[in-house]
Amino acid sequence: MKFKAFIFGLLASFGLPWLLAIVVPFSTMRSLDPAKYAGIEIDGGEGIYIPKRDGRISEGSDVYGQEGCYYCHTQLVRPTYAGSDVWRADWGGLKKSADNPDTRRETLSTDYDGEKIAHIGVMRVGHDLSNLGRRLETNLKGTQLSPETWMFLHLYNPRGIAPYRKNSQDREERSACPSKPGLFNEVSKNIAGFDALPVAAPEGKAIVPSDRARALVSYLVSLKKDTLEQPVPQDLNYNPIQPVAK
Amino acid sequence: MSETPSSADANDIALRSSIDRSLRHPVMFFFTCGALWLAVAAVLGLIASAKKHMPEFLGGCSLFDAGKIDAAHINALIYGWGFQAAFGMIIWLMARLSRKECTSSGIVLVAGHLWNFAVLFGVVGIMLGMGTGVPWMEFPTAVWPVLLLCYMLITIWSLIQFQVRDAGHVYVSQWYLLAAMLWFPWIYMTANLFVFVFDGNPLMAAGIASWFKGTLFLLFFLPVAVASAYFLAPKVTGRPVYSYNIALFGFWTLAVVGPWAGMQKLTGAPIPQFLPYTGAAAMVLILVPAIAVAINILKTVSGHEETVTASPALRFTAAGVVGLLTYGVLSAATHAFGFSLVQFSYTDYGFDILGLYGVFSLCAFGAIYFIVPRITRREWLSRRFISWHFYLSLYGVITVAISAIVGGISQGEGIEAWNQSFLAGAGRAQSYGWGVTIAWGLILLSSLFFSLHLLLMWARLGRRSSHPTLLKGNHAESPHGPEGEVDNYGSATA
Amino acid sequence: MDHTRDNPLKRFTAFWIALLLVGCFGIACVLLRPLTHGQVDTAYEMVSDARLATKSEIMKSQAAALDSDKLEKTLKSAAQTLNQAPSKGAMPLPGAPTK
Repeated sequence: MKFKAFIFGLLASFGLPWLLAIVVPFSTMRSLDPAKYAGIEIDGGEGIYIPKRDGRISEGSDVYGQEGCYYCHTQLVRPTYAGSDVWRADWGGLKKSADNPDTRRETLSTDYDGEKIAHIGVMRVGHDLSNLGRRLETNLKGTQLSPETWMFLHLYNPRGIAPYRKNSQDREERSACPSKPGLFNEVSKNIAGFDALPVAAPEGKAIVPSDRARALVSYLVSLKKDTLEQPVPQDLNYNPIQPVAK
Repeated sequence: MSETPSSADANDIALRSSIDRSLRHPVMFFFTCGALWLAVAAVLGLIASAKKHMPEFLGGCSLFDAGKIDAAHINALIYGWGFQAAFGMIIWLMARLSRKECTSSGIVLVAGHLWNFAVLFGVVGIMLGMGTGVPWMEFPTAVWPVLLLCYMLITIWSLIQFQVRDAGHVYVSQWYLLAAMLWFPWIYMTANLFVFVFDGNPLMAAGIASWFKGTLFLLFFLPVAVASAYFLAPKVTGRPVYSYNIALFGFWTLAVVGPWAGMQKLTGAPIPQFLPYTGAAAMVLILVPAIAVAINILKTVSGHEETVTASPALRFTAAGVVGLLTYGVLSAATHAFGFSLVQFSYTDYGFDILGLYGVFSLCAFGAIYFIVPRITRREWLSRRFISWHFYLSLYGVITVAISAIVGGISQGEGIEAWNQSFLAGAGRAQSYGWGVTIAWGLILLSSLFFSLHLLLMWARLGRRSSHPTLLKGNHAESPHGPEGEVDNYGSATA
Repeated sequence: MDHTRDNPLKRFTAFWIALLLVGCFGIACVLLRPLTHGQVDTAYEMVSDARLATKSEIMKSQAAALDSDKLEKTLKSAAQTLNQAPSKGAMPLPGAPTK
């Protein structure tokens, strides 16, 4: 084998997948055409589909990555050909009930806008988080806890609070999530004020979330990738049951 | 490719020993630092795995927070141990096969120190919460240009050595080494530019990061391991490689299949649909080069079973080649039948460790047991240390493979069963998680034996003997075996 | 042994060939810049066009509603009284001299 032929072979066998699996898809994915609604009567929207999210998305997503949350949690609701995520209770959205329509949907390519990288995740030791914010909001309705406070308490001591699900089959089970003490500070009770978490602390002290914890929780609570507040265009809604009617 | 002492003339022996002497400092540096990083990675792996089934474990220490520790573990294993072992193997094998002394061992040594500082900075950065959040590329973004620069300063001399080699036969090992030396900077530059520098869709960044993860093993660690196996198997047994054509076939199938692997991790994500499919297809087809390499190496050593068990170098290498065959078969089976079942389970981690430890590291240990006595001019001290290292490593990696891959299938089934509670399904992995933790304990023990042994060799405390340390002999005799006669013909420090 | 392949010039050339080979896909990334860079019309920008149009319309109508002559006159007259001592019964402007 001549050296030149060898190098040419390497360049060609590597260059083809490099071009076809990296460069071209990257170029396609960065300039996707925005999806358009078909009309108010058909899919409940008008004009261009713009994903709406509240909170410190970019900053919180960075903290999510820095803390390595993606090693145990995913953020991907796969289509039914690739997994049963849509059917699992409140992963893809809410199932139809007296209070809400069926809001489940699959993950869309716009769902990670504003983040540096899509935290697809490595393993599912814990739940998929695509709709964590939606679950918290729905399940904590009518309780003393806001979704943010519940999240802070969970991160501080996952087994110190009751699960948020009221009637779920997971209710009797304890969270398997390790705590994240590094996200909280111990400060004097006098300066903690309303930030103090209702948890045990040494005399005269209080536990308050750090700024990184605030960003992270703001991001987690914003995870509402379903169709409850914002219907998705007909073309993108593969909900196997029926499109959302308003 | 075999060189028997009878055919090698005095010039040849002098050339070989001058090559060994020119490389002894950088190679020993890489192997010793690598071994210490392996021990660190095993400790971190033990903690990371324990936290998955015992969430309260070390709960009060924010430095060891779950998540961050997983990232620190895998990055220490890859960049601390894997790369440094590979550097030692590449520069030594390439110099020996091209029959050229290393003229820039000073630069290599400096770059090696810089590499270690960069990895240390990266691992500490991850543990302090400054990671990037991209699997296998978690080091703070300032680190990757430094690592790339160090990589070039370490390997470019080997590329030059190949170019100026004396005309003649090019060995199979050299194809793999050349390819690995080029593939790594190609994938590393591409991945870092597209993930951290270019502004694109976050999903595509995740896809390219998965591609990096897949190709880093298949196009860097695997070819380096195979190069070492293609060197050691004929060298130790004294026979030529079984089939040149199979070697050629194995190499080019890897070159064609390898660069497509990785994006199967994004199955079901809204990216162009052919990407996960080609990724999964590559992971199935990887069985072909795996079989080609395994047949070729095992056929080369067949009939020499006694040498395979007695020579530490060959024993580890043969175990690594069997590991490669296992990797190929399991990978083909998993990716062909229901990958989505195990997409987000322990199985993926099982493949990572089976590849990095069960294939690459075992071959690297084989190479180290062969190379170190030649560059230090001392023989390994203790047969028992080598035996302990071998069995603990082997049981460790088998335990990881069974627990994570088999356990991951069970876990995946539990997660996919959407009618039952999630935690009940995910909880199926708990007992297998114990298996992974215990396996890291075994690997930690094995790496302590290995590091200690290597440090003693580094301190030039090895046996002065003309007989290599072999894993045979009966226990009724002296612990050093009957072959342990001390040579008296002068100092070996020359 | 044949040593003709090894000389400083050969090594120098080999160095640059090696550098080129190692860096070739990095260079390719830069050469294919048009594919990976450049302005793209995202949904956010499309919506922002409409928002910017509304904004400029409002700015224009506000500018039209502003009677700048009158405003200038008022400001000028206020400025003229600024340095005068207040007469008895008048409200002194803040900062004005008291004598």
